[in-house]
Amino acid sequence: MEQTEVIKPETLDDLIKTLHKIFESDCINVEEVQSIMEAYESNPHEWMKFAKFDPYRYTRNLVDEGNDKFNLMILCWGEGHGSSIHDHTDSHCFLKLLQGQLKETLFEWPDEKLQGGMVQKTQQILLENQCAYINDSIGLHRVENVSHTECAVSLHLYSPPFQTCQTFDQRTGHKNSVKMTFWSKFGERTPYETTISQENN
Amino acid sequence: MARFSSMDDRCAVLNLSRLHLDDMNLEHIVDSKRKQIQQLHLAYNRLSLLPPSVCLLSNLEYLDISDNGITLIPEDFIRLTNIKTLVAKNNLLDESSFPKDFACMQMETLNLSGNRFGDVPMQFLKLTKLQSLSLGANRLKSIPPEIENLTCLEMLYLGGNLISSIPPELANLTCLKYLVLCDNRIQSIPPQLNRLHSLLSLSLHNNLLTFLPREILSLVHLQELSLRGNPLVVRFIKDMTYNPPSLLELSGRTIKSHNLLYLTNDLPSNLIHYLNLASECPNPKCAGVYFDSCVRHIKFVDFCGKYRLPLMHYLCSPQCSSPCSSNPQSEAESEDENSVPPDRLQRVLLG
Repeated sequence: MEQTEVIKPETLDDLIKTLHKIFESDCINVEEVQSIMEAYESNPHEWMKFAKFDPYRYTRNLVDEGNDKFNLMILCWGEGHGSSIHDHTDSHCFLKLLQGQLKETLFEWPDEKLQGGMVQKTQQILLENQCAYINDSIGLHRVENVSHTECAVSLHLYSPPFQTCQTFDQRTGHKNSVKMTFWSKFGERTPYETTISQENN
Repeated sequence: MARFSSMDDRCAVLNLSRLHLDDMNLEHIVDSKRKQIQQLHLAYNRLSLLPPSVCLLSNLEYLDISDNGITLIPEDFIRLTNIKTLVAKNNLLDESSFPKDFACMQMETLNLSGNRFGDVPMQFLKLTKLQSLSLGANRLKSIPPEIENLTCLEMLYLGGNLISSIPPELANLTCLKYLVLCDNRIQSIPPQLNRLHSLLSLSLHNNLLTFLPREILSLVHLQELSLRGNPLVVRFIKDMTYNPPSLLELSGRTIKSHNLLYLTNDLPSNLIHYLNLASECPNPKCAGVYFDSCVRHIKFVDFCGKYRLPLMHYLCSPQCSSPCSSNPQSEAESEDENSVPPDRLQRVLLG
């Protein structure tokens, strides 16, 4: 597939329009999407209305439904907030930092006879405007805001969209299916739709 | 010379952040305008001292001096009688940086994360109106028991310090909703923490916990519990070294469990004192008590089908069976799992 020149999206709206165009095709060039997301320079005025924080845990705030081809959302992480180890239900996952920093720890899929906890692969600190990529064939990850003084805000793209995923106990590899929920959609706060066991991811 | 980088129409908010200021003088602002300023933002400058003219803003309610190089809060700070929120993250403040009379202020929110506090200053422990206190990423080695004086406290953030134990007095903060103790060196949780009946979220990740007290189950409003990065035991190892009770203990147990009457004149005062220290065995089927000799018992409790948590409680002897058990013999192995109903602790972040 030929590499087209990356045109830098000047605004968040630009980025969303470009993503809609790219995802019209069924074939996704991961490097192209990653470059375009990285090229957008975060401007808080453009995404502030989606960035709703919860004091006790990170929030998922839907920005765009991507014509059912992808979901674009903003995650808000207070000091010390982190996720479980989770998979991505056979979808592509792009993660771009809009503010602050996040630590990403990659894990191998646990095997049957797990001794001594899940195997950690690599760890990286993602800086502002950097964009990471993961899918199930690469592995599992945990994402955390390890700062005790700063909040973090990240932009996530998942394609195709998914509503459930699996979370893993690091000590035993035991997995559990969870339903994912949104704290807000398109800038409006949306309370949980169900009361069954849930976990944001 | 201060430049007003932004002020709204009523001049309530003065934003002087990110201006490379190493000093600031507001004396040229007329008094009537000074009285209008309710919020002052001075974050991300090059201040090494809090500019004295800040203390002239008599109606100031909110002050942010984060990300400077400030070492001292001046005595005149107490002239800000209306201030409710002070945010001073990422400076060079320590326990000697605050004036003594700071204790008399009406502060509601204090965020001093990212400084150099080795102790919680006494002045902070007298701020009876304080609702939110953050001392994350400092150098605290302990939590003072006087923390219990902060009876309005709803949020306590102490993550990223050097804390190795939690005083039981912390449990007296009955308004506390959010307690953050992650990234410390905590080895055990006092069972009294079950008295924090307003607690919604407890952050304990990256500590040195091997088990939790069983009493944690009685925190009925708790929705969030993070425990990752603790060396929690996965299998019960039976405690082989059981020290048999002393004669003193056996006598004490007999007196208590048979309800033998005694008056203060009947026994030496040290024995009266000893008898008052009896703890009831948690087993409802056992009317026994224990003093010093007890067995640590770990039971794995299943949380809504997700995670098995090792919960610990004491029993008066290895023969005593633990509560909620139908088969006393099988307790020795402790692989039995109880279930916590799914509506409790739904979002335990363990893994």
